[in-house]
Amino acid sequence: MLKPKNDLLQGTLALLVLKTLARGTLHGYGITLHIQLISKDILRVEEGSLYPALHRMEQDGWVTAEWGSSENNRRARYYRLTARGQKQLAEEEKNWERLTQAVAHVLQLA
Amino acid sequence: MSWISRLRSMLRRERLDQELDEELRSHLEMRTADNLAAGMSPAQARYEAQKRFGNTTRLKEHTREVDIVGWLDEAARDFRHALRMLRRSPGFTAVAVLTLALGIGANTAIFSVIDSVLLRPLPYHGPDSLVMVWETNSQHPNPHNTVSPPNFLDWQSRNTVFSSMAYIFDERDNLTGNGDPQQVVVQDVSTNFFSLLGVNPILGPGFTPENGQPGHDNVVILGYGIWKERFAGDPAIVGKSILLNGHPQTVVGVAPQNFQWFIKDGSLTGAKPQIWSPFVFPQSFHDHKQIGRFITVVARLNPGATHSQAQSQMNAIASRLEQEYPDFDGHWGVNIVPLRQQISGDLRPALLVLFGAVALVLLIACANVSSLLLARAASREREMAIRTAIGASRWRIARQLLMESLLLALIGGGIGVMLAVWGSNALLAASPRNLLDLSSVSMDLRVLSFALAATLLAGLLFGFLPSYISANSRISETLKEGGRGSSSANRRAFARNAFVVAQFGLALVLLTGSGLLIRSFVRLIGVNPGFDTSHLLTFKVSLPRSKYDTDPLRMAFFQQLLARFAAVPGVRSASMESFPPFTGLGAATGVHLLSQPQQSLMDLPVANVRVVGPDYFSTMNIPLRAGRLFNAQELAQEKHVTIINQAFADRYLHGVNPLGQKAAIHMKSLVENQLQPSEIIGVVGDVHQMGLDAAPEPTVYWPHPELVMSGMTILVRTSNDPFALASAARAELQQLDPELPLAGVATMDQLLADSLSRSRFTMLLLGIFAAVALVLAAVGIYGLIAYSVTQRTQELGIRIALGAQRRDVLRLVLAQGTRLTLLGVAIGILAALAFSRLLATLLFGVSATDPLTFAGVAGLLVVVALAACFIPARRATRVDPIVALRYQ
Repeated sequence: MLKPKNDLLQGTLALLVLKTLARGTLHGYGITLHIQLISKDILRVEEGSLYPALHRMEQDGWVTAEWGSSENNRRARYYRLTARGQKQLAEEEKNWERLTQAVAHVLQLA
Repeated sequence: MSWISRLRSMLRRERLDQELDEELRSHLEMRTADNLAAGMSPAQARYEAQKRFGNTTRLKEHTREVDIVGWLDEAARDFRHALRMLRRSPGFTAVAVLTLALGIGANTAIFSVIDSVLLRPLPYHGPDSLVMVWETNSQHPNPHNTVSPPNFLDWQSRNTVFSSMAYIFDERDNLTGNGDPQQVVVQDVSTNFFSLLGVNPILGPGFTPENGQPGHDNVVILGYGIWKERFAGDPAIVGKSILLNGHPQTVVGVAPQNFQWFIKDGSLTGAKPQIWSPFVFPQSFHDHKQIGRFITVVARLNPGATHSQAQSQMNAIASRLEQEYPDFDGHWGVNIVPLRQQISGDLRPALLVLFGAVALVLLIACANVSSLLLARAASREREMAIRTAIGASRWRIARQLLMESLLLALIGGGIGVMLAVWGSNALLAASPRNLLDLSSVSMDLRVLSFALAATLLAGLLFGFLPSYISANSRISETLKEGGRGSSSANRRAFARNAFVVAQFGLALVLLTGSGLLIRSFVRLIGVNPGFDTSHLLTFKVSLPRSKYDTDPLRMAFFQQLLARFAAVPGVRSASMESFPPFTGLGAATGVHLLSQPQQSLMDLPVANVRVVGPDYFSTMNIPLRAGRLFNAQELAQEKHVTIINQAFADRYLHGVNPLGQKAAIHMKSLVENQLQPSEIIGVVGDVHQMGLDAAPEPTVYWPHPELVMSGMTILVRTSNDPFALASAARAELQQLDPELPLAGVATMDQLLADSLSRSRFTMLLLGIFAAVALVLAAVGIYGLIAYSVTQRTQELGIRIALGAQRRDVLRLVLAQGTRLTLLGVAIGILAALAFSRLLATLLFGVSATDPLTFAGVAGLLVVVALAACFIPARRATRVDPIVALRYQ
């Protein structure tokens, strides 16, 4: 199993979290699981980065959080994307595309 | 960033903390459950989940920092923690706070004085464009010579750099009517004086250009003080008349309370003015031959004109005047001095030296507290290690320790400001009147900001190294070694040694400065003034020219007065002279010795001229060296005789018998053929007229009839306390003329003390600071050695068990202290050699590198250091080997 120890860049982490939340509300643990699953275990979100990031996004108004119960009847804090978060997501996706295209370009031509 | 929501978050911090805990716990539980489901053992499942969290404490802190204004919250928490820690060790806290309070207090006190004297804006409009314009003579060293009126007129008409120029000279006049006669200091000024300074009277129109016309100048502006005191603050004073020297003068204004104009150089009275009166130059003042140099000139620079532009233009004007009037203006130039520099010039070197001294005291205090903190940090090493182990970051620990330092500094600073308020007012009360022109030092915003800045800086300064070392210590090492022998312990020991060395170096610099001032002061008071200062009462009597308008009248008055004084019981003799000694007052002129070739006036030998009354030399106890004193005829009539002092004979009549020589003294006229030469009939001993630190100047004495002055200083030699006779003297004066005031009553010893006051005061202050530095350095080395003895108890015990004698142990411990002291002293000597030159202007008769002072101070420091080390060293010799080996 490939487990690169790459701590995600701050902006990238925000993008991944926003994108994950765009599919629906989720708690912190769910977010880590989802990203790990979708990225086929290549991307692994550190808890140490996730929670500060989530709380920052909450402060900035991109997500809201409320307590709910999980599938196993555990109390968990669920995060939901706000309208402002949607806009931010679109912005970050655009940025990301531009960045990857630029990198790809360099790789082709170099 | 949403600051408001974060601030709001801070208010509900506890709930947020709980929520975060719960959120993370649910995360952990979910992961653990999944791990269990994946087939791990319960313990393994839990461990794996926890491990992924890494440092939970740090994670929580980071997340919390997002939620609230983290640093603010943590600062508050650190603050509470720091307060607890300081309360837990009251001894340490008290010593540290007291040390800092001394350092910060001394700095604040001196800064408040510097602020008032050197930094506050002057009470004039646009003070930065005001300059003093002096004459200087390339052959005499005085850079601030008063100006001759015809030169002033030429400057005024020829320059383009000043928007206006004004002149001032002062005199003592008698104010009569409305109560007892009073002698007041009046400044005679040009009518534009107040408008040039940009000061308007608080009452009345002030002077108008019309007051410059002859016949319209009988007006005065009252100073605020005399208006309040003598005229009871009469709001309708404007338009009323007062009597000055018997002449009615109309009051046209009252000056603002804070208005003052006192330039010591060039002042004839040496006192602050109480009344201003316009003075118009008579026609004779336009003639270079007829009038000497006696006015003080202030000018306002044109907008945009610089000081150096003004200086170069005035140089050009002066050299043209030199060509036009070689007899009068030969060798004379112009010196322009910014007003601020003029006013603070006297005090600036002393204040800057004192400021440097208190800065050193603060540095020593910081080194002491830093050293104490290091010692404490060593014993708290385990606490720090445990905090690190449970997840505190280095920055977190450093921050907490810094907070303790800042808290210490703030408490010390607070007490220091209180000390400063108390101390500086006590200093002002103790300082002689003529030293500082301040009634009280107030702690205003500027001074408080300075104190706060000094406090914070000190806190960071002494707190930095201890927190840095603690934050960077290795946990594992600490926990294993119990704090001893670890790398941080070594670094601390090195730092503490360095601090002791630095303290001794700094203390040596301060002690050297103070030692030099003390030696210089001892030299100064060892100077023989040239006459007997004890039991000598002095005061001034000035006769109004309106009433005493002829020389015989004035001479007769003073003769009667002295005869009356001499008859008072308790008076041994009474005499008078033109200017009292030690006040910096005098008149000098060119003297042509007829046996020497004729020269232009400006190249003639220069001598002070002092006019004296009967029995002057016997009353003063000035010894006669050759020839004879004035006889009764010479003291009653103009007989053209003079007595010179030894300095005159040595300088101008070297190897020649002075007796019988004729000297043309250019005092009454500057034109030689209008002068009757005086015959030198005697030589008397030198008197330090200008102060003990000034060499006696060549002087010629004239009996009163040669130059009848209307204002004289009376000298009364008494058998007992001179002050007891002041009222008898006043009564005698009133009987002779009830309109005349007795002014400036003082004993000669007081005048002497006043002339030494600045030296004494500077010496005293620097001495106090040096003593504080010495005590702090002693405490510093005592603390270090005591601590090191405690640390080495085990080693010392083994040595004693192996047969070391008490003497050996004593030597071992003392050697450690001595090494540090000697290193500090060596560094200090180098620094002191570099810095003591700054003191040069304050020294008298002692070189700034005086070897005796350096050696004495170094010896004192070593003795004090040994004494401080001896106490812990003796304790070391009493170490019981059994106890020591069980230690730790």
